[in-house]
Amino acid sequence: MKRKGSFLSRIGIRIPLILWTLAVLYPIFWMFIGSFKSNAEIYANPWGLPRIFNFQNFSQAWTEYNIDTSVFNSLIVTVLGAVLTLVLAVPTSYALERMFFRGNRFLFTLYVSAMMIPTVLGWIPLFFLLMQLNLLDNIFGLAIVYAVSQLPFSIFVLSSFMGTIPRALEESAAIDGLSPYGVLWKIITPLSMTGIITVTIMNAIQFWNEYFMALIFLQSEENYTLALAIDYISNEAEYTNAWGTLFASLTIAIIPVIILYAIFQRRIAKGMTEGAIKG
Amino acid sequence: MGTISRRIACTTIIWIEGNDCASKKIKNYERKGGYMVQSKKQKYLFLAFCLVPTLAIFSVFTLYPLFNGLYYSLFSWSGSSSAAEFIGLSNYTKLFNDEIIPKTIYHDYFLVVAKVIGIMILATFFAVALTQLRIKEAPFYRIVFFFPNIMSVVVIGILWMFIYNPSLGLINSGLEFLGLDSWTRPWLGNENWALPSLVLPSVWAGIGLFMLMLMGGISNVSKSYYEAAEIDGANEWQQFWKVTLPLIWPQIKISILYIVITTLNGSFIIVQVMTGGGPNNSTHVMGSYLYQQAFQQYNFGYGATIGVMILILSLITVLIMQFFMRREKVEY
Repeated sequence: MKRKGSFLSRIGIRIPLILWTLAVLYPIFWMFIGSFKSNAEIYANPWGLPRIFNFQNFSQAWTEYNIDTSVFNSLIVTVLGAVLTLVLAVPTSYALERMFFRGNRFLFTLYVSAMMIPTVLGWIPLFFLLMQLNLLDNIFGLAIVYAVSQLPFSIFVLSSFMGTIPRALEESAAIDGLSPYGVLWKIITPLSMTGIITVTIMNAIQFWNEYFMALIFLQSEENYTLALAIDYISNEAEYTNAWGTLFASLTIAIIPVIILYAIFQRRIAKGMTEGAIKG
Repeated sequence: MGTISRRIACTTIIWIEGNDCASKKIKNYERKGGYMVQSKKQKYLFLAFCLVPTLAIFSVFTLYPLFNGLYYSLFSWSGSSSAAEFIGLSNYTKLFNDEIIPKTIYHDYFLVVAKVIGIMILATFFAVALTQLRIKEAPFYRIVFFFPNIMSVVVIGILWMFIYNPSLGLINSGLEFLGLDSWTRPWLGNENWALPSLVLPSVWAGIGLFMLMLMGGISNVSKSYYEAAEIDGANEWQQFWKVTLPLIWPQIKISILYIVITTLNGSFIIVQVMTGGGPNNSTHVMGSYLYQQAFQQYNFGYGATIGVMILILSLITVLIMQFFMRREKVEY
């Protein structure tokens, strides 16, 4: 497939690619830079490099704006939500993928179609349900809501992973006298670890980033997750002009995601495209 | 004699094998039921262990609220349990007479169309560029372009609020730098420009995923089609229209559907972060209007009615799209 003038055309094709790379990276890079600048510098030179790096914005965000509490809350919600999703999704995925019973297809369709339905409508009754259960304005309540919201996606991805495990392994384990509970725990779970890790990373990122459900179901500042705290600082900044602090808290929010992406880039990309291709 | 005994031996073997076969069949049958040595009761216990807790929690936190939402839409309710008043379809009459509702629907579909066009053109272009033209650093672009997909909407929204900032922002500074001072404006504060301004961050954040989906499609297209097209004298542009595009149609269709669904179900998040529906309702979409009605003005019944509308509109949209995008699978 040799083409005439391909050298020139390849330079031509690189221009839009490089421009888009700049469009993606520059705002993120600029946010990091901004978090080291004083307010005066942000106004004087908003898009350039800082003269001296100072960490004052971070300490200010951490202490004065209670980012420490929010980071802690976000961590709890993320870990708890991700674990709960697995506890709920793994046995169901296994049963739906490997056991034959009446209503199997129906149940699978029910879970998967919940991915397509707008959940906004459900949030109003959910608000009152959580209120009755004393789970409103409660990070544990939020963790449950998060876990349930990611159930369909997790079941979908996990069951397609379990479909690739050879049946012979389960059978020989069962012949050796392992109970079905043992098969699920000692055979299926370790063998679908790749899928479990993929799903967990995606869920964790989702929970760490989530904003709108937290906005509805959390009310008091001491329960704010990171996304809510940042939104709060952003709204305040219009009056206080604490832009440096805002950038510092944005940086705190994005660093764990960057680290996870750096390690699991392939898995995240694969998991998301597969989740979307469900059709 | 010899032949007879041999025959007997043979039948015995067949008989034994046949038996073995039968026992295998039984095993097979049992396997379909789940486990070989399990009784029915144990099987059902295990099934219940796997399915019931998850289904129960899913029903309580997803199914019940959805159906209850339909029920709520028949009430006038400001939150306290005593004040719920059954008003039949009055909320729906209110919905049809609410001047803001048609605006929110229009804004939603404006975002849908703009995002589909913007994302699909750029994502297709990048996908073709990164797969067809052998560029050495293609993985670098792929990694960078995908990253905004896993950023929090809050971070994306706040970053872009700065880019649009009237005095400090990158866009206005850039325009001034280019000497286009007259083009500068308070993008998010301007009733005409606020909504179009929301398109760019959504496209920025969305491209990577769809680029990857299309790249997956393109890499499945056999090289021989392109070689054949080349022999027939098709240039790259013709190859793209005649070979690539028809063959990745399934991926394109899924991408478009996915953009439409996620936009209708989730565009209100970026609206809420960046403009809160303002200025003067010029960026309110259905979801952000629901939030305002229910959780800021405590019209929970009316909010639920808006939710029902969102549900119905997005179901209709998806059905219509699936009807129009039915296209025979192309095979060469």
